[in-house]
Amino acid sequence: MTEALLLIRRSLLVALRQPAAIIPNIGISVFFLFVYNAGLGAVENLPGFEGSYLAFILPVAILSAAVGGAGVAGQELVRDLESGYFSKLLLTPARRLSIVWGPMVAAAILLVGQVVLILVLGLIIGLDSATGVPGLLLVVVFAFLWGMAFAGYAAFAALRFKNAAAAQAATLAFFPLLFLSSTFVPLEFLDGWLKVAATLNPTTYVFEGMRAVLMTGWDWRDVGLGLLVVVGTATLTGALAVREAVRSTRLAR
Amino acid sequence: MSSPADRSIVVENLTRCYGDLRAVDSVDLQIDSGRIFGFLGPNGAGKTTLVKVLTTILAPTTGRALVGGHDVVSEGHEVRSLIGVALQDVGLDSLMTASELLQLQARLFGYTPEAARGRTRLLLKRVGLDDVPAKKRVGAYSGGMKRRLDLALALVHEPAILFLDEPTTGLDPVSRVEIWTEVRRLNRDLGVTIFLTTQYLEEADRLADEVAIISRGHIVAQGSPMELKREVGQEVITLVFAEEEEARQAEGALGHLDGARQLVGRELLVYSARAAELVPSLVRRLDAHGLALEGLSLAQPSLDDVFLRATGERMEDGDDSHLAEKVGP
Ligand SMILES: Nc1ncnc2c1ncn2[C@@H]1O[C@H](COP(=O)(O)OP(=O)(O)OP(=O)(O)O)[C@@H](O)[C@H]1O
Ligand SMILES: [Mg+2]
Repeated sequence: MTEALLLIRRSLLVALRQPAAIIPNIGISVFFLFVYNAGLGAVENLPGFEGSYLAFILPVAILSAAVGGAGVAGQELVRDLESGYFSKLLLTPARRLSIVWGPMVAAAILLVGQVVLILVLGLIIGLDSATGVPGLLLVVVFAFLWGMAFAGYAAFAALRFKNAAAAQAATLAFFPLLFLSSTFVPLEFLDGWLKVAATLNPTTYVFEGMRAVLMTGWDWRDVGLGLLVVVGTATLTGALAVREAVRSTRLAR
Repeated sequence: MSSPADRSIVVENLTRCYGDLRAVDSVDLQIDSGRIFGFLGPNGAGKTTLVKVLTTILAPTTGRALVGGHDVVSEGHEVRSLIGVALQDVGLDSLMTASELLQLQARLFGYTPEAARGRTRLLLKRVGLDDVPAKKRVGAYSGGMKRRLDLALALVHEPAILFLDEPTTGLDPVSRVEIWTEVRRLNRDLGVTIFLTTQYLEEADRLADEVAIISRGHIVAQGSPMELKREVGQEVITLVFAEEEEARQAEGALGHLDGARQLVGRELLVYSARAAELVPSLVRRLDAHGLALEGLSLAQPSLDDVFLRATGERMEDGDDSHLAEKVGP
């Protein structure tokens, strides 16, 4: 356990020493929040739409922050692989799990910082959470877990391709997931193939979970399903990343 | 940490391939506890590959290796807890400071925060980095400073067996001697077994109790530097000509004169137990054939000669300083 904490702390330290890797990401998600809210806010007036569009679109800003924010984990692993520091860590008694998850957890923690900022901005421009502060905390938990899920994928890509450009390109694969979903309008408004894609897309359930607490209240079915999906995805991508670390380093047992 | 009795390294018929290339080919080695072992070979010979196998970073393709009595494949964890490793390419995080790296390393090896701080102070002093500003990040270190920090990191947990892959390559002569001193101290005072690779014949000669020479994946000679040099036999007369062609003609011209010959570019080497007596007749013979000498030297054999006898090539290819040393009056 100590080793995990030590490695998370080190990853945080290193990430904070490269603010250039974090700040643009915050900028983009804030941009999303304002532009979508201003540009698509009229959806609120459509018959069948209940609640505020701001609360509806806020999870989009949060999850897009997660995509970029989690990329930090991949970038750090690529940096360590390139510098040879990764080998040095592998030669310590630290478990492979801690070495790979250290940067992932650190990226998710940094993401929490960004999400709190987005929420504060949201509150300033009139966000009204249906479940109050506990609901906002749950949104942060969602963001953390979804961050872990993205970070696991980014770490996997970093360990597989071992170069920054390829790892970065691989994380872009997540953008379709973000937009082939109930991103801008509720699921009921979607039609045809987009509706099928959105129903199959795990991101949809994360949106629904967050929106439930922000817009309607403690709807345990939506919240539970959303949590199940994020925990499942995070476990899956995290396990893939660790497996890739073991495979690609071919370290003797 | 504990001081395990077994600090030996045993390699049995070990091969490691990269695709079709046999980078390390059927190598056998036996290194007793507490020795300094010099692993000598030119670029691409397979030194780093063997170090990576012995330190569990790479798995062997076939064969077996025991480090401190533990199998590098099935008991990797035990091996890693015994060894300290400074690879040829230093592995440092340029965004961290030396103290941060050393303390993290110590904590990961189970030291308490206090003990980790103590260890950090001691090691920074020992490798001569204690007067570097504490806030300076490793990215701003010179190559030599990075090497020394990397050595310190390898020593954090007081390893019983230390692997150093070309620890002095690229260092200035003063730093090189400092590293030698530290290697000897670790070996003498703490009984650390040291596996050191080098391209420098002098380094192997001065530092190692025992040497193996590797070329294209094969061990071509093995023994103490003294033994190896004695095996070459005799002394070496080096005849230097202006042209390769002349050297070749000279080889023919010497005919049945005593001594084993070897042609290396525009040098002709003659090995003989009575070299000094041989020189006048050699010179007369060359003169008679109208072959002018550019230089002539008579020397005790070096490890370079050992390498040359084993492989037919010079290790320090085109190294003029080496040549200059040999060309006598
Ligand atoms: N990862 C790799 N993939 C393919 N071939 C490799 C790899 N690493 C090394 N080789 C090849 O294996 C051979 C041995 O390389 P190795 O690095 O062990 O040599 P070395 O003795 O350490 O050389 P140097 O003195 O230059 O460090 C070389 O021919 C090299 O090109
Ligand atoms: Mg090497």
